[in-house]
Amino acid sequence: MSRPKEMTKAVIVGHKSILKDTIDSLHDTNLFHIEDFVEDESGFKISKPFNNAEEVSKKLVKIRSISNFLGIVKKEPVVQNTDSVLRDLDSKLNELDRTIATKTESIAQLDNELKDLDSQKKEILPYLSINLDFDDYRGYENLKVFAGTVKGSLDGSQISSITKAYELYSDPQSKAVVLFVAKKDADKVSELLQDLGFRDLRVPERGGVPSELLRFIEQKEAEVTKKTESLRADIESLKVKYTDFILSSDEVLSIESQKAELPLRIATSANAFIIEGWTPTEDYDKVVSAVNSATNGKAYVTSLEIDEEDEEHVPVEYNNSKIAAPMQEIMDLYSRPKYTELDPSSVILFTFPLMYGLILGDIGYALILGVLALAVKKAVKSDAVKPLMNILIYCQISTFIFGIIYGEFLGFSLASLHTAHGVVPGLIPGWETIVLFGGLSGEEFTFPIHRTHMIMTMIGVTVIIGLLQLNLGFLLGFSNIARHHGFMHGLLEKGSWIIIEVGVLIAAIGVLGGNSILTYVGAAVFVIAVLMLLKGEGIQGVVELPSLMGNALSYSRIIAVGLSSIYIASTVNDIAFKMIWADHSQIGFLAIAAIIVFILGHSLNTVLSIIAPGLHALRLQYVEFFGKFYSGGGKKYNPFGYIRKYTEE
Amino acid sequence: MVGEELVSGPFLDADGMKALGAALAITVTGLASAWAEKEIGTAAIGAMAENEGLFGKGLILTVIPETIVIFGLVASLLINSA
Repeated sequence: MSRPKEMTKAVIVGHKSILKDTIDSLHDTNLFHIEDFVEDESGFKISKPFNNAEEVSKKLVKIRSISNFLGIVKKEPVVQNTDSVLRDLDSKLNELDRTIATKTESIAQLDNELKDLDSQKKEILPYLSINLDFDDYRGYENLKVFAGTVKGSLDGSQISSITKAYELYSDPQSKAVVLFVAKKDADKVSELLQDLGFRDLRVPERGGVPSELLRFIEQKEAEVTKKTESLRADIESLKVKYTDFILSSDEVLSIESQKAELPLRIATSANAFIIEGWTPTEDYDKVVSAVNSATNGKAYVTSLEIDEEDEEHVPVEYNNSKIAAPMQEIMDLYSRPKYTELDPSSVILFTFPLMYGLILGDIGYALILGVLALAVKKAVKSDAVKPLMNILIYCQISTFIFGIIYGEFLGFSLASLHTAHGVVPGLIPGWETIVLFGGLSGEEFTFPIHRTHMIMTMIGVTVIIGLLQLNLGFLLGFSNIARHHGFMHGLLEKGSWIIIEVGVLIAAIGVLGGNSILTYVGAAVFVIAVLMLLKGEGIQGVVELPSLMGNALSYSRIIAVGLSSIYIASTVNDIAFKMIWADHSQIGFLAIAAIIVFILGHSLNTVLSIIAPGLHALRLQYVEFFGKFYSGGGKKYNPFGYIRKYTEE
Repeated sequence: MVGEELVSGPFLDADGMKALGAALAITVTGLASAWAEKEIGTAAIGAMAENEGLFGKGLILTVIPETIVIFGLVASLLINSA
């Protein structure tokens, strides 16, 4: 059980001449969460960014657009010295910018050329089988040239009815025709052509025979494409050459820009500045000494009292052991705890895997998912994936333990079970199910627990587990309230719920045991507790009484979702094994199909085994458990600084 | 008459009624959950389009009505075992 890291509110005051040194030193420590200054009547104003801010952000935009263009991806860092990066930055950046600009410009030009060639090619294609130089199509005084396509077919006989003096060329495939006639006959011929659905085609401007022209253009196209490819390869090699430079200068510039823009977030007067913020109490001395040594003690640093109003604004940093730290992801998915609250990460470290294991409880799936999680954790370096895999591994440990308790392996029962309807054989010969004691509605409580044969008993067990967790929630809520508002408040608001349950329990024992005195005592305890609740939480508390039952019953999902997983697995097993038994004499088609069914079915159920138990276990934490004590809504502790990856001071 | 033979015995005996009741319990609650989750899910997706950080809250809100069908399942199991 932990609380968020204790924070100290600190104020740094100094003359503007030491502002830059102060900011540099704060940035280097990466421990100071700066509270943004909001202008008020105090007379202090936010300041202007440093002079270099504009230039830095211009360069940053340039480098990011280049990085975007080249498709730079983050990679294993090669650490470089900040000063050397800064020294070469301008020249390298300009050079890179210029090279890329000229290359992209040439590529654009070549692309245009390619388009041009393509349209020329399209113009030539209809004339391809007409072996006539395009220069011969034009420049006549007394000849009219018709070049185009016709819908029907055109032959000499149709034209010879108008004139004998003509020359006709045609391409049967593209239906292109080229017709030379005397100008005086042009009108009549034109009419004839109209009837045949004649449409003009453009005559290419370039002279030459079509087939030769086509060969020439295709050759040119190949040349241009080759040039573009080599330019693209150049750009690709630029990417390889400059990746380190781009990543490191992006980092350096980001840092510079953060520093240069800080004055926008702090209070300043004509000559002085005030920086207000938070630092973990354990690191306060480090911040003080860093600022003092950077400014030769000219800055005044002091810590302030945290009053009740401040508590709402304190940034929250988790304070968990390495083992519980992955659970912070689950907390952040819901909401970060407030500074004044208990951080339940270390509680759900146990309860979340517990619920997950109770639901899934299968040795086979635990092994498969455990190995998968380990493999993903090894293969993926991302900081976002690691904690999730750790959580999955915790869950599989719990699943494995419950797999032994349930005696299940991929939906098979490991121990044999004797029932009224006969013997259900187990996978491990000789492991007999032991009857421990009687369960609900005629069932028997056994080891290993056969969930499919003791559904009612397991519903009861899961509801009791639920009640235990809910009461843990009430206790945590009690501790939260008692710490801030005193023991009585805690007792009235949260303790009363536990007393209500005790009252109901006593009364229930009284009724079942036929002891009327016990019944009355239970009822009296119940009434008193309800009155306490009324005083503590008001009428809403009393109205919410039935929700306690709903919350507890909600835990029966543990067995419900678990059963669905078992039934899917055992259905897959049934189908697969029936198929194998069908022709057990030889390894035939059915046996192979059975293996495929087995693998596919269990892969599907493995995926479902992450989603269904995960979501339901998560929901039990978020809705039922957190509802009893947790409010959340804390602000993230985000210190002023930068975690350098590609550069060093 | 043919019709008389059909109505001579009860249409459903006690076991049949039990099975039908159990089936109804799970069917109707399943539909109810689906309906509720559909409404919440659409709203949650809309909210996530505005702010991706709401994924966690949206997920939780969406699975809340799942309780309905769980209760339905419990009810049908109770009917079956009674």
